[in-house]
Amino acid sequence: MNALSEALSKKRVLVCVGSGGVGKTTISATLALRSAVDGRSSLVCTIDPAKRLANSLGLNALGNVEAEVPPSALEPLGVKPRGRLHAMMLDMKQTWDDLILKYAPPDKREKILANRFYQSLSSALAGSQEYIAMEKLWELRTKRDYELIVLDTPPTAHALDFLEAPNRVLDFLDNEAAKWLLTPALAAGKIGLSLFSLGSSYVAKTISKFTGTETLQELAGFMMAIAPMNESFRERARGVRELLEAESTGFVLVTSPGRERLDEVTHFHRLLKQNRMEVVAVVVNRVHPMPAQALWEEAKGLIPTRRAKVEETLRELTMLAEQDARGIAEIQAVCDGTPLIQVPRFELDVHDIGALWRTARYLIGDEALPSPAALSSGETRR
Amino acid sequence: MAGLLDKRLWIVSGKGGVGKSTIAAALALRSARAGRRTLVCEVNTQERISRLLGHQPVGPQVTKLEDNLWAVDVRPQEAMREYALMVLRFETLYKTVFENKVVRYFLRFIPSLQELVLLGKILFHAQEKRPDGQPLWDSIVMDAPATGHAITFLRVPQVLLQTLPPGPMTREAMKMRDILEDPATTAAVLVSLPEEMPVNETLELHSALRDQVRVRTHAAVLNAAFPERFTEDDLETLVDHPELLRVARAHHDRAAQTVLAEMKLERNLHVPVYQVPRIFTPGFGREAIEQVMGHLEPLVTGKAET
Repeated sequence: MNALSEALSKKRVLVCVGSGGVGKTTISATLALRSAVDGRSSLVCTIDPAKRLANSLGLNALGNVEAEVPPSALEPLGVKPRGRLHAMMLDMKQTWDDLILKYAPPDKREKILANRFYQSLSSALAGSQEYIAMEKLWELRTKRDYELIVLDTPPTAHALDFLEAPNRVLDFLDNEAAKWLLTPALAAGKIGLSLFSLGSSYVAKTISKFTGTETLQELAGFMMAIAPMNESFRERARGVRELLEAESTGFVLVTSPGRERLDEVTHFHRLLKQNRMEVVAVVVNRVHPMPAQALWEEAKGLIPTRRAKVEETLRELTMLAEQDARGIAEIQAVCDGTPLIQVPRFELDVHDIGALWRTARYLIGDEALPSPAALSSGETRR
Repeated sequence: MAGLLDKRLWIVSGKGGVGKSTIAAALALRSARAGRRTLVCEVNTQERISRLLGHQPVGPQVTKLEDNLWAVDVRPQEAMREYALMVLRFETLYKTVFENKVVRYFLRFIPSLQELVLLGKILFHAQEKRPDGQPLWDSIVMDAPATGHAITFLRVPQVLLQTLPPGPMTREAMKMRDILEDPATTAAVLVSLPEEMPVNETLELHSALRDQVRVRTHAAVLNAAFPERFTEDDLETLVDHPELLRVARAHHDRAAQTVLAEMKLERNLHVPVYQVPRIFTPGFGREAIEQVMGHLEPLVTGKAET
């Protein structure tokens, strides 16, 4: 029983965070798979369009709606799952459109969907991914009855973007400045340049110089159109915030062992703590295990050319293992008090169901790599 | 085959975790060694490059690292200020307007403005001139964000041109788009690993850059490549040593994957693919970057390895 296996049986929501390329999507899928096999109805909501992951779960493709992973896909595991596994892939544009269709006043829907600002906000532009992932999580958590939802987060450049997504919305809606700017226009029921002369014409003129007048007008038009939705945005943003802080929610911080990730891990860990969010575990993925001492002895019996090749390989593996051990020791030091779980680098990449299952054994502590401290105490040989 | 030295703006991108910063650092160092005034730009990161090269982090000011090599970490707030000053000219005007709460608030809601100013600052450096009219920078190496973010980031000028009515922002966007689309100036270097997902993502990135941003892929770098070491014969004779066989086979499989990845990249990208072997040095710093640089020689100079 380790921290993650406990979380898998007790938490309702697990959020996997970490920088890009560390294997968040795989870890998310593995957690949901394990939980389902152990008897809880689970959902993994991924962000990366990883077709191989979909295939490994027996699905042709992952879409924006939840699909049940067919029991046949889990047969190779040799165990009979006691719960059901669902998977979906977050489609940003579709989720935005659904939101508008659901919450906007009927007479405003078409207008919003056709607005240029809305279209770029919902599809092409940066910064809305984190927010929409939060909206989806809220919907899944409140409208469905999964016992566990595992959310894979967008590969955010900055931890802050993600954690602040609900805050940003609340901040926006509650901001006095925006009200001051919009209220007279809202009361007048029309929008136009007059809006900006209501405030300070000097300020408005200067912004116009920067962005162009028409841009401001269109933006104001968009804000007017979504204004009736503010209350529901606000309500859900608060809900998301509470959800993230809830005891039933846990964060899994995924990283690779390299030292170049240390700053990011430190940053994520500190931010989560500051925000009163529970970090269940730090998962260090793709760790190179130290080759056993016995292998060096065994290699001595080979003919010289072959022995040289094997020893070269062992030396390289040793160096990688040592590097990883140093990185892990540093991660452990900065994430003091948070359980650290290592997953080894497998010979080949993890994208079939068997490999996910093997990964799960390490995640929940059925198998474990020796701690880096144990490694560094045994002197390595050249 | 033309080398990267024929271009001025080198955009390095690829899937997260493939070693973009390592490759960008090595390319920047090589450019500086060629005697070119080189600026390496990181985009709002935790600053890896200056440290990989053995220097202190530089922050948001263009800072000299060593001969011919400068670095900058482009960050939104500073970039916004510089951009606003470029448009508004006067610092006092900037202060009264942009430090106004309402305005700051409003600007935050203009989609993509942040990306526009980040990209805008980098492309501003690409246009900087010396007194004699020559470009100030001979090479600008951009350590771009990972795939999805890179496309969003580099597409900002196009998206703005489609979204906004003509005005000051669209004029800037148009200038930026023209630099990115000019094949005589700009070249992308796509970094991959010999694994299936990074390779597939590289192919997607290539198509997106070509179709959506119209940036030309100059070459691909297959990072952390495994050279062939064990022959079939070796593997056969190791059957009596199952544990050693496992070690040898793992290496052999990775080498085979490297060959496959290289073939797939070459066949689909129609550009040269350069291998950088996995570097084994204790700690990954200056020494490793110098090694990586050696392997990128033909990519930079366009001359075949001797």
